[in-house]
Parts: sequence; C-alpha cells; structure tokens
Amino acid sequence: MKTVYVVCATGIATSTMLRLKVESFLEERGIEARVLQFRVTELSPERVEADVILATTEIPPEFEGLATVINGISLITGIGQGETLESLARALRDDS
Amino acid sequence: MEGILTSIGEFLNGLGPLIALPVVIALLGIILGQKWDSAIRSGLMTAVAFVGIFLTVGLLGSTVSTIGQTFATNTGTNLDIIDIGWPAASALAFATPVGNLIIPLGILLNVLLLIFGLTQTLDVDIWNFWHMAFVGALVQFVTGSFMLGLFAALLTLVIALFLADWSAPLIQKHFKMPGISIPHLQSAGYMLLAVPFGWLVNRVAFLKNMKLNPDTIRKKLGLLGEPMVLGFIIGFLLGILGGQGLKDAILTAVNTAAVMLLIPRMVSILVEALTPVAEAASKYMTKRFKGREFYIGLDSAVLAGNSTVIAAGLLLVPLEILLALALSPLGNRTLPFIDLADGVFVAAMLAPLVAGDVILTTLLGVIVMGIGLIFTTLLAPGVTQLVNTSSLGLDIPTGYATYTVMSDAAIPTSYGLYYLFQTPAAIAVIVSLLLVVGLYYLKRSVNLEKLFGAKK
Repeated sequence: MKTVYVVCATGIATSTMLRLKVESFLEERGIEARVLQFRVTELSPERVEADVILATTEIPPEFEGLATVINGISLITGIGQGETLESLARALRDDS
Repeated sequence: MEGILTSIGEFLNGLGPLIALPVVIALLGIILGQKWDSAIRSGLMTAVAFVGIFLTVGLLGSTVSTIGQTFATNTGTNLDIIDIGWPAASALAFATPVGNLIIPLGILLNVLLLIFGLTQTLDVDIWNFWHMAFVGALVQFVTGSFMLGLFAALLTLVIALFLADWSAPLIQKHFKMPGISIPHLQSAGYMLLAVPFGWLVNRVAFLKNMKLNPDTIRKKLGLLGEPMVLGFIIGFLLGILGGQGLKDAILTAVNTAAVMLLIPRMVSILVEALTPVAEAASKYMTKRFKGREFYIGLDSAVLAGNSTVIAAGLLLVPLEILLALALSPLGNRTLPFIDLADGVFVAAMLAPLVAGDVILTTLLGVIVMGIGLIFTTLLAPGVTQLVNTSSLGLDIPTGYATYTVMSDAAIPTSYGLYYLFQTPAAIAVIVSLLLVVGLYYLKRSVNLEKLFGAKK
C-alpha cells in the first residue's frame, strides 16, 4: 500500500485539516493508502517511507526525490484544491 | 443586549467546557450549513477532545509542580514560575466564559469588517481564536467583568486582522504564498514589536555581514526540533539541576517527553472537531463575498517550514533559557519549558523583516522574547487564576506553584491589554479603541513591503 505523509509545522493544526480532506478524498475515489501525520522537524531523510509528502509548509530540499512533494496550502484556503487533490491521486496511481 | 450576552455567557460557563463549547460548535455548524449529523459529530468530538486534554494536562500539572519550586531553591535562581505551554493554554482559554462565545462572535465580527471594507482578511483559522479568548480571560481576571473581557477579546481579533492585512504583501512575497495573510497573534503579535528593531538592525552593517547557513543549523540541531526528544532533554536537565537523583531525573524527563507528545495529540483532536465547522464557515463566507478580492487568513504554521524560520526557532531554544537566567536580576521569574518547542512561531514573521537572515531573525527573536519574558512573569497571577478557575481540573497544590504561558503572555497584545484594563473601564475602552484606529492608519500608510522587501 502507498503512503501519504501529511505535514505541517506543528503536526497539530493544518496537518490535521489535510489529513481529514485527504482521507475523505481517498475514500471517495476508492484509493487505498496509509495517511500519516507529521511535524516537519520530525521528518528525516533516512526514515522517510512515503510515496507522497503533502505539506502546508516548506519541505527541505533533501526530501525531493525520496517522495513526491506536493504543496497542500490550497486544501486549507480552498482555492485550487481540486487540482492539488488530482495531483495527489496521480502520484498514488503511478507505479513507479 | 449587554444583559443578554452576560447571561448567555454565565449560563454557558455554568455548563462547563464539556457541554458549553460542544453545543456552541454544533449549533454554529448547523447555522453555517453543515449537515446536522456532521455538526453534532463535531460537537461531540469537541467534548471528547476536552476529556483527552484534561487527562494529559493533569499529567503536565504533576510533572511541572515537582520541577518549578525545587529548581528555584536548588539552583539559587529565582525562576519559580513554570511555563505550561500553548497547547494546554489553548484548551484553558476555550474553557472560559469568553472562550465559549469567541468563535461565533469572532466570525460575525470578521464578516462585518469585510462588509465595511475595513479588512481584506477572511480568517478561516478559527482554531486560533483561542488567542483572543486568552486575552479576554486575562482582562476578565483584571476587571472582573465578562463584558470587558469579551470586548478585549474581540478587539484583539480586530488587531490580528489589521496586522494580517498590514503584513500580507511582505509575507506573500517573502514566502512566495500568494493570496494569504497571517492573522495569527502567536507570530503577528511579535512582528508588531519587532518592526522598529528590524528597521534598526538592517542599518547596522557588521550585523548584516555575518552569514549563517540555515540548513547547517537545521541538520546540527535537528533533534531539538522533535518535541518528544526536546522534552526528554529539558526534563532531564531541569531534574538534575533541581537536585533530583538520577532515577527521579530520568522519570521527570520521560514525563516531560510524554507531555510534549501527548497534549498536542489531544489538541489535534480539538482541531479535527473544529475543521468541518471552519470549512462550513469559509464556504459560507466565500459565497457571500464572491467577486471580491481578499486574503485567506491562515495559521503561521504554514510559514514555519521555511529553513530560516526553523533554524532561528532551534537557536532560540538555548537562547530563551539563557535569556531567562540573564533577565532574572531584572525581575524575570519565568522558567521556559513547554513553549521551548515552538520557537518557530516567534521567528515566522520576524524573518521577512531581515530578508531571511538567520542571525538577524534570531536576534529579533531574542529582543522580543527578552521583553516578553519579563511580562510572562508579570502576567503569571492572571494565568494562574485562569488555570485554577477553568473547569479543566488541573491538579495543583494550592499556594505552591505559579504558572505562565511563555508564548502567549509574551505577545504585546496580551500584556498591553492586561495593563490597559487595570485603568478605569471607560479610559481602557477609549484608549484601546484609539490604538486600534491608530493601527488601521498605520497599515494604510506604512508599506512594510517597501520598507523591508529584499532589495536586489
């Protein structure tokens, strides 16, 4: 199963909102994936086991290449959230 | 009107946080068009979150009360006021008379200000209305009046919105996040104080020439970025310095680590409960303001992943402890503790004032927290009263410990209004309204982006 990390600066507030939206979107689309919630400073490149990192905050450059990094701000503002969710779905569909 | 609000406030508070806020949240959700079953679920989850927070805050109480006093006596420092941290403070603030009403009234006020064109910020971050409730609770403590507390809380929301409008162009450009603003006092409040200092340090050449790479700091101090690990280290050090034996110090360390991990987990349940309501509010408002340009107001956490912000936030951990010791002759009695984990909020909106320079951001952080620490000590009676009277049931041996909240008591709006409302009510109301009008003209006449935007 693929794994999505939802990440914000506290691991409390905006990442919770991301998790709720992502979970209901995945259920709607029938996509199976694990959704785990983190604080950005808890992540370390050696321990990342995610296919997608969806974050409301900047993710350090060393994570590029380890997972598909997607900016999740639109899921908080509500502007452009459709596109963001589509790119999440695409990243989870790819068999790479 | 006044009588009605007061009796609603008293009635709700009599019900306690397990009933009052959940009912308000469910009703608000239904009014804003949330499906009734989902609204009731939000209400129930709010209550459940409070149960979880009570349990973990109890653990915090038993951990900190063993540290504060012994640390002060054994080290000979007078740092005997313990910082309980913002996650616990947020629950305390929502569990007050003002806290019960701040979310519906805050949304209403934001809508009115948008209609009259006084703000461009639509604050969808209703979770952070707890900062306003915190100020309201302090003012109610000072004045004994619920209405004045509510007034101060709503005024604080206006200040937060104005600060968000004012800083939006600079923030959007610096962090490359178009369309947002940050009405989050835990960062914007510090920025207000830091603006003149920012202007000053940008003009000191030798400061500008010291360069520090944020990524190096982030990699070296990375462990401090994980609250559980930070909690263990801080708990152990405080235990040892407080004269505990090795075994007890390790127990203190483990308990502190647990507090750092568990309270935020419980608070995230509260956020989860409020999220559908926030979404309903944001849909409701965007529908009514179609075709108008406005900024979406967010939590400053969205800025806090920036490498300068993280680096400065990490550097502030040891610096805040040193500051507390250095300022103790000047009257500081606050022992920085739980809020050490969240230096990123202090740094988030200071970084754009110095074009993202790590050393200067940290320097500004030291200045605002230095001033703030003194006030965290001065506001401790109000915070302790908040802890004792909230129905959270924190287990405190009476006459033993004094508490403060390092993050929030250090915000200029918190201490500003706390002191202003010690004057007669009429003066306090008039002066605070004048200050808000002043801030309105400041945001219209001073362009922060021109003043601080990176010149290339």
